[in-house]
Amino acid sequence: MSAPNKTMVVVPCSGIGKPFGTVSREAAYELCEDLRPQDTRLVALAKLVLGDEEARDLITKHPAVTIDGCKQMCAAKMVKQSGGNVAHEIAVLDVFRRHKDLKPEGIAELNEAGQKLARVLAEEVAAKLASEEGAQHV
Amino acid sequence: MPEYLETTADKFTFRVATDRRYTPQGIWVLEEPGTQRVRVGLADYIQQHNGDVAFANVKPVGTKLAVGEQFAEIETIKAMVELASPVSGAIVEVNPALDTTPEVINQTPFQEGWLAVVETTSWEADRSKLLDASAYFKVMQAQVQEELKNL
Amino acid sequence: MSELLERKVGIVSCSGEELAEGTVARLAALKVLNDLRPKDTVTICLPLFLAGGAGDRAFAKLHPTITVDGCDLRCAARATEKYSSKPAASLVVNEVVSEAHLEKPEGRRRLNVAGQEAVRLTAEKLAALVDQALGNGKSASGSSQAAEAGSEGEHREATCSCGSGVVVTTLNIAGKSVELIALPLVFRHFRQEWPAAGGASPELDEQTANNIFEAVKIYNSVPAELEAAYREAVLHEYAGFCEKEKK
Repeated sequence: MSAPNKTMVVVPCSGIGKPFGTVSREAAYELCEDLRPQDTRLVALAKLVLGDEEARDLITKHPAVTIDGCKQMCAAKMVKQSGGNVAHEIAVLDVFRRHKDLKPEGIAELNEAGQKLARVLAEEVAAKLASEEGAQHV
Repeated sequence: MPEYLETTADKFTFRVATDRRYTPQGIWVLEEPGTQRVRVGLADYIQQHNGDVAFANVKPVGTKLAVGEQFAEIETIKAMVELASPVSGAIVEVNPALDTTPEVINQTPFQEGWLAVVETTSWEADRSKLLDASAYFKVMQAQVQEELKNL
Repeated sequence: MSELLERKVGIVSCSGEELAEGTVARLAALKVLNDLRPKDTVTICLPLFLAGGAGDRAFAKLHPTITVDGCDLRCAARATEKYSSKPAASLVVNEVVSEAHLEKPEGRRRLNVAGQEAVRLTAEKLAALVDQALGNGKSASGSSQAAEAGSEGEHREATCSCGSGVVVTTLNIAGKSVELIALPLVFRHFRQEWPAAGGASPELDEQTANNIFEAVKIYNSVPAELEAAYREAVLHEYAGFCEKEKK
């Protein structure tokens, strides 16, 4: 199924080794399901890297937001390698630095602070997208 | 580039640079030849053990230090870690990268991830209390084994 | 076999954000890693694995892996085979659900009751596969003996470029250079466990020769059509190893 023209593909790393990986996943859900369902599309990183046609098609036609749980930046790296244009490269660690009080814990289930951090991250990205949209209409 | 001693546990490899000395707690000390200065940083096992560094705060240039006195603290997602000075002297340089990209401590703990340069006041005495790379490697291996046992 | 073959199992889960079954896979993997078999398993982070994580890839090459996928795309299984070696076992959540006649899991973000039941069942099956991979209950001693071999300061051939510290030996097999990992480790184990096997004569009894080769095959892929050539090369290398050890 193709996506509307002005779509942002969202690719979280979903790393399973650290709470930040779960934050990346949760933030992607916040963005794609709650804040901007009309113009975002969640794509699984592994599917993309392993050559799924639909995922590759989305990535080549639409800009991407990558959300990485650590500074290895796997999602950003692999989306670029797959031919995608990463419009916004988000590192959960950088967002955490701006919100020290929101220390995430838990990988299978995030604590409240982790959920809030995911929400804050998603809101920051949503605000950037809204601002870009506004700039385009000027 | 220094040479390394390495040990692997599960999927993690821990390295010890052979060109410097260490405290048992995992602070490395690298002499700057021809001077009384040493560069200090965090060893590989300690940075991996504590996780991604979110903040790194080193005391400012000019701070006088005694051996064992706190000279820095790092805050990771897992812990707040206070770091004790391995030498006595005064801080003459702090790594500027730590303000904006403290993750450099995780990425290259033995090179760009250095913490501070200290002008020492009793280097020969301090040096004799530090472990050489081989001795620290054994200490580190024991720490790794202990951590695995506690899983 | 003793400590040499006591090792951990790497668990590779798909990321699966797009489907509830993907979330089931992730949570089932975490349940096994944290609760059911914490001492016997290691998590392989799939994104890092895909991006070239040296430690994860080396671990997956040296140790058995079990993959858990949400759907028939089998991203975790395919990635493991592509970048490391064929998994020891694979689970697919939609197959587990179907075989057990469970209701379809719903809620990729917050699983419904059916999804939670699928997590429980998948985790149980995964734990059983871990036990199987470790040989009916033998579990790891806690660290890779490959690491100990490397750290004792003994002679090392080239180590794997992935930085895992695992010894790599290059043999000429059927006219080609082939890299095999962990040979000194295997050989040393047999010399210690069965000194008669590597004793005065390099000739081995058939059983011991088979055991050595089977141990090598745990750590290395051996093409079926070249098995005889690999065996000969490995046993020849073993004979040379025993000669060196005697000196």
